[in-house]
Amino acid sequence: MKPLVLYQLASLVLLGAGLAGLVKRRTLVGMLIAVELMLNGAGLSIVAATQLTGADAALGQLATLLVMGLAAAEATVALAAIVVVFRRFGTTRTDALATLREQQ
Amino acid sequence: METPAILAFGFYFLVIVVGCFMAVGCASLVRALVGLVATLLGVAGMYLLLNAPFMAFMQILIYVGAICVLIFFALMLARADADGDEADPAPAARTFKGVLAAMLPGALLAPILMLHPTASKMIPAEVPLAELGRRLMEDYVLPFELISMVLLISMAGAVLLVWERRDK
Repeated sequence: MKPLVLYQLASLVLLGAGLAGLVKRRTLVGMLIAVELMLNGAGLSIVAATQLTGADAALGQLATLLVMGLAAAEATVALAAIVVVFRRFGTTRTDALATLREQQ
Repeated sequence: METPAILAFGFYFLVIVVGCFMAVGCASLVRALVGLVATLLGVAGMYLLLNAPFMAFMQILIYVGAICVLIFFALMLARADADGDEADPAPAARTFKGVLAAMLPGALLAPILMLHPTASKMIPAEVPLAELGRRLMEDYVLPFELISMVLLISMAGAVLLVWERRDK
C-alpha cells in the first residue's frame, strides 16, 4: 500500500472514533474529547497529503498549525460554556440540559 | 517505506487505536483523557515519521500541554470517577448508533482511498523551519494575524462567560 493511504487510514480511524464518541458520550467533557480526536485526524490528513505528494509542503504544515490554533480557541470557549452550564444546571450531563422540555 | 519506518508506523498506529478506544470507551473520564493524550502522542509520532518535527513539537505543546490540561481542569466539574456521570452503561441503541457513526465514514471513504490511491512520494518533503517562518510572515501574514485575533477574542470571551459580578 502507498504511504499516503496508510496515513489517511490512520486519520480515518481518528475521525471514526471521534464521531462514535460524540454520539456515545453523555457528558459535555466527553464530547469535547471526541471533537479533539476528530480535529487531530484532520491535521494528520492535511500534513500527510502535502508531505507525501507534490503539493506545497510548507502550506500544509501552516494549515495544520491553523487547525491547532482553532482547536485551542474552540476548547477554551467550550470549557467556559461547560462551566456556565455546570453553574446553571449543577451537572454536565447532556440529558439534563433541556429547558425547552416540560420539567418533570 | 522501509522496514524500520513500517515498524514505527505500526507502533504509532497501535498507540492511536488503543488511545481512541480508551478515549471513547472508558467509563472514567480521567482514563478517557489519558487515552486522548496517548492518541495525541501517537499522532505526534506520525508527524515525526512524515519528516515534520516542528509539527510534532507543536502537537505536544499545544494539544498535550495546553488543551489536555484545560480539559483536565474541566473534569473537576464532571463526576469523572469510574462510577460517575458516564458510569451507567449506555443504552444499547445509543452504543449501536455510536458504532454506526464510526463505521459510516469508514465504509464511505476507505474503499475510495484503497481503490484510487493518490500518487505518493516514498520520501516525505523536507521543509526547513526558516521557510515556515518566512511564509508565515510574508505570504500568510493575514491568516496568522486572524488566528491570533480569534485566540484573543476566545480567551476574552471565556473570561467574560465565567465572570462573577461582586454585587450579586
